[in-house]
Amino acid sequence: MTMRKEQLTALLAALDRHRIYVLLALVFAILPFAAHGFATVNNLTTVLKSSCLNATVAIGFTLVLICGELDLTIGATLTLGAMLTIGLQPHLGRPGSFAVAVAAGALVGLCNGLIVTKARVNSFIATLGSMTILQGIIYIYSHGASVSVTGPADFRLADFLEKPLVPLLTPRVLITVALVAFAQGFLTWTRSGRNFFLVGGNRETAWFSGVNPARYVVGAFVVSGVSAAVGGALFGLSMCSATSNLGASCLMDVIAATIVGGTAMTGGKGSVLRSALAVLTFTAMFNGFNALGFPSELKILIAGLVLALVVVYEAAAARRHEKARGRRPMLMEELRRKDPTQAKESRT
Amino acid sequence: MSERTTPFTRSLGGLFHRAGIFGAVALILAIGALVSPKFLTAGNLLNTVDSVMLLGIVAVGVAFVTYSGHYADLSVPTTMAFSGVMAVEMLRFGFVPALLAGLATGLGIGLVNALMVGRLRVNPIIWTLAMSYLTMGVMRWLWSNQQIYPDVKGGDTGAGRLFMELYRHEVLSRIPLPMVILALFVVTGHYVLTRTAFGQQLKLVGSNPSMAALTGVRMPRTVGLAFVLSALAASVGGILITSLSKVGAYYNGEGYDFDAVTAVVLGGMTLTGGRGSMLGVLGGVLMLGLMSNIMTLLGVDTFAQRIVKGAVFLAVVGVGSLLARRMGRDDA
Amino acid sequence: MSDTGTALQLEQVSKRYTGMLAVDGVDFDVRAGEVHALIGENGAGKSTLMNIIAGAFADYTGRIRIGGQEVALHSPLAAKRHGIQMIHQELSLARTLSVAENLLAGRLPARHGILDRRALRTEARDLLKRVGLDSLDPATLVEDIGQHEAQLVEIAKALGNRPCILVMDEPTSALSRDEVKHLFEIVRKLRLQGLAIVYISHHLPEILEIADRVTVMRDGKKIATREMLDVTQADLVEMMVGCAAAADLYARKARPAPGKEKLQVRGLTRTGVFHDVSFAVRRGEILGIGGLAGSGRTELARALVAADAPDAGELLLDGRPVRPKRLSDAIRLGMAYLPEERKTLGLALRLSAGENLLAALIPRLTRRCHYSARRGAGTLGRLMGLLQVHPSDPQVTVRNLSGGNQQKVLLAKWLAVEPQVLILDEPTRGVDIGAKVIIHRAIEDVAEQGRAVILISSDLPELVSLSDRVLILRHGRMIREMPRESLSEEAVLLAANGGVGDV
Repeated sequence: MTMRKEQLTALLAALDRHRIYVLLALVFAILPFAAHGFATVNNLTTVLKSSCLNATVAIGFTLVLICGELDLTIGATLTLGAMLTIGLQPHLGRPGSFAVAVAAGALVGLCNGLIVTKARVNSFIATLGSMTILQGIIYIYSHGASVSVTGPADFRLADFLEKPLVPLLTPRVLITVALVAFAQGFLTWTRSGRNFFLVGGNRETAWFSGVNPARYVVGAFVVSGVSAAVGGALFGLSMCSATSNLGASCLMDVIAATIVGGTAMTGGKGSVLRSALAVLTFTAMFNGFNALGFPSELKILIAGLVLALVVVYEAAAARRHEKARGRRPMLMEELRRKDPTQAKESRT
Repeated sequence: MSERTTPFTRSLGGLFHRAGIFGAVALILAIGALVSPKFLTAGNLLNTVDSVMLLGIVAVGVAFVTYSGHYADLSVPTTMAFSGVMAVEMLRFGFVPALLAGLATGLGIGLVNALMVGRLRVNPIIWTLAMSYLTMGVMRWLWSNQQIYPDVKGGDTGAGRLFMELYRHEVLSRIPLPMVILALFVVTGHYVLTRTAFGQQLKLVGSNPSMAALTGVRMPRTVGLAFVLSALAASVGGILITSLSKVGAYYNGEGYDFDAVTAVVLGGMTLTGGRGSMLGVLGGVLMLGLMSNIMTLLGVDTFAQRIVKGAVFLAVVGVGSLLARRMGRDDA
Repeated sequence: MSDTGTALQLEQVSKRYTGMLAVDGVDFDVRAGEVHALIGENGAGKSTLMNIIAGAFADYTGRIRIGGQEVALHSPLAAKRHGIQMIHQELSLARTLSVAENLLAGRLPARHGILDRRALRTEARDLLKRVGLDSLDPATLVEDIGQHEAQLVEIAKALGNRPCILVMDEPTSALSRDEVKHLFEIVRKLRLQGLAIVYISHHLPEILEIADRVTVMRDGKKIATREMLDVTQADLVEMMVGCAAAADLYARKARPAPGKEKLQVRGLTRTGVFHDVSFAVRRGEILGIGGLAGSGRTELARALVAADAPDAGELLLDGRPVRPKRLSDAIRLGMAYLPEERKTLGLALRLSAGENLLAALIPRLTRRCHYSARRGAGTLGRLMGLLQVHPSDPQVTVRNLSGGNQQKVLLAKWLAVEPQVLILDEPTRGVDIGAKVIIHRAIEDVAEQGRAVILISSDLPELVSLSDRVLILRHGRMIREMPRESLSEEAVLLAANGGVGDV
């Protein structure tokens, strides 16, 4: 009996460690059969296209979370990026407006980072404040309406971005994939990338090891601002317009995807790739539900349910871990010698 | 709670810090008076209070969560909306049953939050966020994204009309009901925080959770109750806002989570918990209202007002954090 | 640095905390290729001395020389730069990272910024080999390895910084016998490689096994330095404890005969933590619990008051079985527990003395949903006065009180609930002499009032002078009961180390 319980716990733990791959596999295994029209090239392309925005934003958000901080401004920043790219186009041309949008994102990130590191304000509060300011700026700039461009050149660009070059892959999707790959590579293979994990994992140790936490935290926020702005800018260019409520559901969706993807709120652990895959999973799920004729409202419920289940599982596991803490190896050894049927307790 | 006086605390900065939010409110009132002759009139001030009554009601609830050191309750907007929608839906059974249904909804959500954050100790930000997702999903699914109307749901029982008049009802023919409720909440909330065992123990939890646990505070129950109170306050606010807008909809209450946290933090409650008072929260709410009012009088449009609010919020928090560090505390 | 030269030399080093001299004019030196043990009771000053070496203080007095040259160790980075590596009791690893990344934290091998995984792996393996962890995959996450491996990784990490001087603080408190053997092999290897190793421990048999020289500290002063070959365990104990115990403070008064049994503990067990513990405490009795750090005393105390749930066993109060499910139940039954760490577990530093003192009384000060601190004013005043808390203003923030006064407030908090069984965990740790006297007197008063007191203390004079009996806990088991007549500091220390026979 004990053996089976141990095996079950181990199995669940392994599944949990790779949960996003499991979920992704499940989704892509079930939906093609369950939902008509899901597995068509057209539909799958739509799925990929719809994932681009949140996946790009998730890059920076994941990095901030890895550092152990939180960035609530991503929705507002992405809207700003989209608006500036579209709105400034008549004045600055497309490359110019794009550059300004990216710079704006970096500036937002820089301000956030400085408030958190220099003024030592909790990142939840700090980004709450900046978010409010940004929302005001966005509304003033757009007067609550949407901005759009209507030139033929603009439509051509939008078409280009949104038409698949190869089956399934539109230029925007490719750009997004490239960004995610680049970010993941940076975090996995470069020294600076690994240092982010050290800063998030144990800030004091990082400092003692000569890695300056403040610099990395500010850097993470800047990347977050830039990735949000870029995501929004690309979206705007593809739609030729930007509305002021573009980023409305973004925060929740990206948090859900990042957590489900396996990044920890506490810092030191995470993966941009998994966050992006989580975004893809959710998008595919919702798309499938549409095809299945589920009302679109159900998708919000399902997303909430998945997030809730993941979070509850993690908490329950943490509680269990706590109970086992402080177990003395010597005593455990003795117990084992006396009772050979008791399986080896995992060391904590 | 006084600290040993140092040259700093006796200085102007220290004075300001201790005067806290009411000093800021006084300052704002002074600024307002300078800005416009219309400002200090009874009509205008009442208008201001009017604009933040609902926020105040909700903020009182959120304050319990913040006081306990659990940051904030982000499920508040959806709890508001859901309570309102449930109330409207139940109007066919009568006015009072409808109200009870709305409150019961809030209670239910609060209990789930209490279980997750109080007992399982899930991160409060993530959990309440997930909860809001769930609630929003349930609402939009069960009611097919549609709004429901009190007069329609109430039928010919007249309950619908009663419901729609609820917000505008005036106690003693002079004072708006929401204002009365707000006053009641603030007074009761203040009493609960300062004069009940729960409030005292909540302060311990916010100041040092490990110590609170080893002092015999029943953590799941205490933390849980904070979340239940938050949800109940949100449901009252939700019923009122639904009455105000005369429609039961899933978007009622949007933005109340962040506004409430802003008010609570402005009013002197630090996110780390154990500090602040309900009166301070009221002050924070009033300050937000007064700032809007002054800016409106100045002709500043609503969106620019958001910027100013955000900036003031950051300034207050940032300065507060610096001052606290100078006085030798390093929380906040 | 020559292989047999002096690696580290401290000359007349002192460190003062407000009101007390933690380290008083200590001369201490370590040679290269030597394991030099530093022993002394809690409060003897060894942790402070080690922290000075680790660069934790900028305000010590005296001279420190490394390799003959005088240095200023005013910051941890400075200590690191001078080749000093300290391995603390609480590990400093980042749990979410791999072993390799922890080993080379801050100096990950890279080519043009790109992580050189092969070099990382190779260097990590080399470091792991030096501590005998050849079979550990460097890619394993720290959160997945055991305490023993984590400690060895910590040592390997320290070695990676190429230290001349290694300071090890209580490295064996959580290890099994085999693991200790393994650790000692590593230490011997490092010694052969010319490292100067300072080894702090409470475990005398281990010290006898591994160290070359030993320095004994007491009350902040260095008592003696001896070659290991010249001393026995009994000698060490005698030096640690001193011949004449401080007269007034630890005078052993006649203790009144205790009354009936108040609390009976039968077969209390927490799997893997402590096993089959049984004892009884009487009214008016002070029962001491002795044992080395890590023997399970605090865990036992926590289980008694239901702060942790025991896995087996039962409690009887006044002969009736009781089953408190949580701490608040235990408090209502009349049990109280004063935790060992007053700053993090006992007090809320941000709040006032009054608020802390009344914290456990909150339910009792509430009548019909109305809480009034004023109802507790009498108790507050009485206890503040009884324990002579200074300053006596209950509004003062506890953070601003001295250690001794903080401890008094903590004690007052639990005296206020008028417990039938009062469990004290290190009640005078980090407390000045004046406060100690007051606290001791208060403890004796509590017993005289007919309550039962359980005293957990690593302060041997305190344990011996106050206790009617002492139970010895070792590796989670109750191994001896020592009646008052047989009590002496040497006897308790020997027993705690597993020594048998009478002294």
